[in-house]
Amino acid sequence: MFRKLIIILAALAFTLAGCAPAATPTSAPVPTALPAVEVPTEVPTAAPTASPTSAPLTITDGLGRKVTLPAPAQKVVSMAPSNTEILFAISAGPQVVGRDEFSDYPAQAKSLPSVGGSMGQYSNEQIAALKPDLVLAGGINTPEQVKALEDLGLTVFYLGNPSTLEEMYANLETVAKLTGHESDASTLIDSLKARVKAVDDKLAGVTAKPIVFYEIDASDPNKPYTTGPGTFIDLLIARAGGQNLPGLKDPYPQVSLEQIVVANPDIILLGDAQYGTTPEAVAGRPGWATIAAVKNNRVLPFDDNLVSRPGPRLVDGLEALAKAIHPEMYK
Amino acid sequence: MIARARDASPRRFPMRHRLLPLAWTLTFLGLAILLSIAIGSVFIPPADLWRLLAAGFSGALPEPLATYALIIIGIRLPRTALVALTGAALGASGAAYQGLFRNPLADPYLIGVASGAGLGAVIAMSIQWPYSFWGLMAIPMAAFLAALLTVLIVYSLARVGRAVPTTNLILAGVAFGSFATALTSFLMLRSSGEVRRALGWLLGGASQAGWMPVLGILPYLVIGLSILLLSGHALNLLQFGDEQAHQLGLPVTRAKTIILVAASLATAAAVAFAGIIGFVGLIVPHVMRMWFGGDYRRLLPLSLIGGAAALLVADVLARVVLAPQELPLGIITALAGAPFFLWVLRRSKNQGYW
Repeated sequence: MFRKLIIILAALAFTLAGCAPAATPTSAPVPTALPAVEVPTEVPTAAPTASPTSAPLTITDGLGRKVTLPAPAQKVVSMAPSNTEILFAISAGPQVVGRDEFSDYPAQAKSLPSVGGSMGQYSNEQIAALKPDLVLAGGINTPEQVKALEDLGLTVFYLGNPSTLEEMYANLETVAKLTGHESDASTLIDSLKARVKAVDDKLAGVTAKPIVFYEIDASDPNKPYTTGPGTFIDLLIARAGGQNLPGLKDPYPQVSLEQIVVANPDIILLGDAQYGTTPEAVAGRPGWATIAAVKNNRVLPFDDNLVSRPGPRLVDGLEALAKAIHPEMYK
Repeated sequence: MIARARDASPRRFPMRHRLLPLAWTLTFLGLAILLSIAIGSVFIPPADLWRLLAAGFSGALPEPLATYALIIIGIRLPRTALVALTGAALGASGAAYQGLFRNPLADPYLIGVASGAGLGAVIAMSIQWPYSFWGLMAIPMAAFLAALLTVLIVYSLARVGRAVPTTNLILAGVAFGSFATALTSFLMLRSSGEVRRALGWLLGGASQAGWMPVLGILPYLVIGLSILLLSGHALNLLQFGDEQAHQLGLPVTRAKTIILVAASLATAAAVAFAGIIGFVGLIVPHVMRMWFGGDYRRLLPLSLIGGAAALLVADVLARVVLAPQELPLGIITALAGAPFFLWVLRRSKNQGYW
């Protein structure tokens, strides 16, 4: 019986595999038929707004897809807060017609229609109804989400998450190409680079590297979550003349209070301040009073959005970190 | 037990009484399909919907009809089909499992389909697949195969000689399920970026849009559900207990195995694309049993249709409750399903229905 079932199971796997590609051609008429419905109405509205001189552009996105736009996008739906911030920072804000639920910066973005996004659930209907000529997806979006929008005949660009500031600048340039704001982006990048250099110069003579514990969630104060290698927070703490808790391996590890007490951080930054965590609450947690940062009153609330969204505000985050870690240099 | 056998005897249900419940549930399903097509996070005025129908969704449609056509054909129709099929699979499998295990707490996930599928999906998610057809298919395929493999493991663990005692099956299923769930949680804690994706899948809800998932699961549902629909008589006999059923001429072990495989096949296929949607497979058979009696020859088709209708209604709620946000389907089925079930339970005049 067991062997028979194994054979059946193997056969099933093959038929699922066998039927699946056959499903693609059958499903193909839907996506091809839909743009045909769209085209007559889309062309007259899109053609006048797009600059007539611009040639079609093709860019490879973060999923390795080749995305082609006939002209820079004029109606963009942003699927991630970082994308919204990038779009507005390169002066493409007026071209944004929709945003995800969490896009709250800059303030103008909040007045745009939301297309959902909490728990990874977006309303494809709302996105389709906004008739965007570009959907700018981000690292928080799933490939399935990209595929679903692509199947609706929409142009989707997946902006992969950067892991360095240089990659973040490259992302700004990419979005600038997609929206026709290359010169705005290069001005922005120059000023961002200048600000990063100013921080580097300021900290050039610093030799002390205080240990920083960056808290993102301490629902269980004995096992708070922090950020480790592979995150911008880790990168920017080092750039701001500090050092992250030693021995971390995962990007978002949960560490034990024991480990924190042993590392004895000089500074505790509360990335969870937005959820109501206060320095006083930290001082009152059992066992935390022995930590140097608590003893020396160096537990500080920190705006997590500056360092958790891979956009131009990372530089604001770097400056804020530098001021928090080396206040003596900013007197 | 004897009272139920009398209930199930065909003499008490002349033809029209046997077809009436079917007509009721089919009407309900029809209404649910209409709702699912008409309602979504984007409001389509009924007048425009009518004009679209009149135009047959084709030709050069003026705005905003073209956008509405895109939303209905590209989003709502395939989603309605997938949700209805998923609900049908869960409803019918739930009824079959409850009959097979003679346990009112049985649902399609009892012997590990959900936990196995979850583990398979999370393992597949921990790998960076290229953006291609097969990359996108990797997760549903892993979920489907892991679900079937789990049932296979549980079945062989529970086997004693040639027999498969029901209690062993339940215990092996629950134990293996806990193991798989723990492993899934461990993998989710270890991974960083994919937790969101895994959570969305585990809470249920059609993540992949379009017709591909519908066509992908259809063969398994057709096979699994056809077998289940033909198993009504065997399930009726099994209600007397294995020994009695055997004396009544039923090849007990073979019948149980066939029903188990058919129900698991349908559930695994449903779970592969729609994620884990709880509660439907548990309550729909009970509601049908309370309303229309416990004869499995009728209960199975009624649970199939009722499951499809109930899940469609839940999906409509998921789309509109927090529009434009969409809630995971698994939250709605429990949140709206549990009070409804309790209401039916309280009102049920047939107190000792099980």
